[in-house]
Amino acid sequence: MLHLLKIDLKKLTSYRTFWVICGLYFLTLGFTTASGMEILKWIASKGAEFGTSININRIPLYHFPDIWQNLIWISGLFKLILSVMVVISITNEYQYRTIRQNIIDGFSRWEFILSKILTNLLLSLMSVAMILLITIVTGLIYTPEIEWTYFFTGMEFFVAYFLEVFAFLSYALMLGIFIQRSGLTIVLLMLSHMIEAIIKLNLFRESLENSIGWLKQFFPLESITNLVPLPFARYAFQEIQDYVSFTAVAIALVWTFLFNYFAYLKLKKSDI
Amino acid sequence: METVLSINQLTKNFGRLCAVNRLDLEVKRGQVFGMLGPNGSGKTTTLGMLMGVVNPTSGSFSWFGEQPTNLTRKKIGAVLEHPIFYPYLSGQKNLELNAMIKGADPNNIPKVLELVELASRKQDKYKTYSLGMKQRLAIASALVSDPIILILDEPTNGLDPMGIAEIRDIIRKIAADGKTIILASHLLDEVQKVCTHFAVLRRGTLMHCGPVDEVGKGEEIVEVQAYHDDLSVLLQEFVGSASIKKENGAFQVMMKDRFHSHDLNRFLFDKGIVVSHLITKKKTLEKQFLEILSEAQHSNIIKN
Repeated sequence: MLHLLKIDLKKLTSYRTFWVICGLYFLTLGFTTASGMEILKWIASKGAEFGTSININRIPLYHFPDIWQNLIWISGLFKLILSVMVVISITNEYQYRTIRQNIIDGFSRWEFILSKILTNLLLSLMSVAMILLITIVTGLIYTPEIEWTYFFTGMEFFVAYFLEVFAFLSYALMLGIFIQRSGLTIVLLMLSHMIEAIIKLNLFRESLENSIGWLKQFFPLESITNLVPLPFARYAFQEIQDYVSFTAVAIALVWTFLFNYFAYLKLKKSDI
Repeated sequence: METVLSINQLTKNFGRLCAVNRLDLEVKRGQVFGMLGPNGSGKTTTLGMLMGVVNPTSGSFSWFGEQPTNLTRKKIGAVLEHPIFYPYLSGQKNLELNAMIKGADPNNIPKVLELVELASRKQDKYKTYSLGMKQRLAIASALVSDPIILILDEPTNGLDPMGIAEIRDIIRKIAADGKTIILASHLLDEVQKVCTHFAVLRRGTLMHCGPVDEVGKGEEIVEVQAYHDDLSVLLQEFVGSASIKKENGAFQVMMKDRFHSHDLNRFLFDKGIVVSHLITKKKTLEKQFLEILSEAQHSNIIKN
């Protein structure tokens, strides 16, 4: 297993585009999640100039335990950048035909795809590790009084976040294997949410909304989004789902498995 | 001799097109086996199936008497069609990757780079290489695992005469090591120079299979030149001549069975003629190849 991961990393680590995209991803991700409070303060100071006072202490964005869900939800938005890297990595193999030579050299098709899946796992774990670190540091800085019981409430969001990133990267890998062209795959990847929304809009017209509306959660991209619910409505005194739903995890897990399985099936059946 | 590769009724259809049609073939250890055929005759498709990148429609094959898996492929060094490498990696790193996939000892890399004379350029990116260098790196990558068998598909494609000669030398060196080589090519001269056995494919069907030595057997052609006005008349008198043609100022005498150039020489000498030029010409593989293909065409026409 480790051997396969090493092979895929060897392909990537001498590739400049890999460093540029990963660098951009981790920089923007880190910067955005770490600087939220400062931005909020800046907005408040601007507001004060115009005579509207915002009490930022009423918005405990960075206080334990709110911080877990808040930062993780924001981090989830950045996975698209990482998935572009995954698409480039797999479509390059088709463009350069190196996938063919890899098989000729003695990779089985399963080993080839496993090496890509392992890289996806690594990238997901790195995202989790980075957000975990940023959350702990910023949480410790901005939380006025730390109560340790609150510190650990909400840690399950990291499991959901990991699955969210990994599921989306699996989806990107599958798309890459089916389409094989980087440009087209990236465009489709970016439009995926919109395409799924249009399909749902047409399927669930108002009359059907009540009877089969519950089916929506089974759609692949919706299942990924449902893992970490949008938290910010709570600061407008609305009820939000501040826990990870077991059903959402189960559905996303099944889709993750299917994405990777379909990718393998396609690779197994095609002449390369 | 031990059978290295055995192909049994192997078939591949691309939609309605039959690229390889019930192919039977055997390659034994130590052979340098040439696969001939015009473009699109199914050579690369066959090799693709043998190397696991093309799924056969039906039929089977076995390497070393075993069912083929990815592990058997690790014991084979193969380059199909064009050299394939990561353009942004150096030659050295590309070979390191090949070695990792094959589970080969990375200490072989300097050796194979030396063999193909690329050691001085190993740190340069692959995309900066000339076509000849790319072909040579491909041979190096096929050799990196010290394979028992080597498959080369058009290794001299697009090379200049010097590049072709270099690759030919490399193939000879490898063959001298006792490795089994399968060489697909449409350069017949190449195959005749390096191969011990050959097979001819046409539209996916096997037309001929046999040793290269036998190609020259059978009728002989003798080219004669002499300072004598009636040479053609005298040549016709010779009992061993089947037919005579004049080409570029010399006579091409097609000999009957069991007659050889020395018989002709003695005959002319007895008639008081000393020849200034006498060459025995064996039939070339090219000629045989064209004959095989045209025979096939004829039999096809008759069948239809």
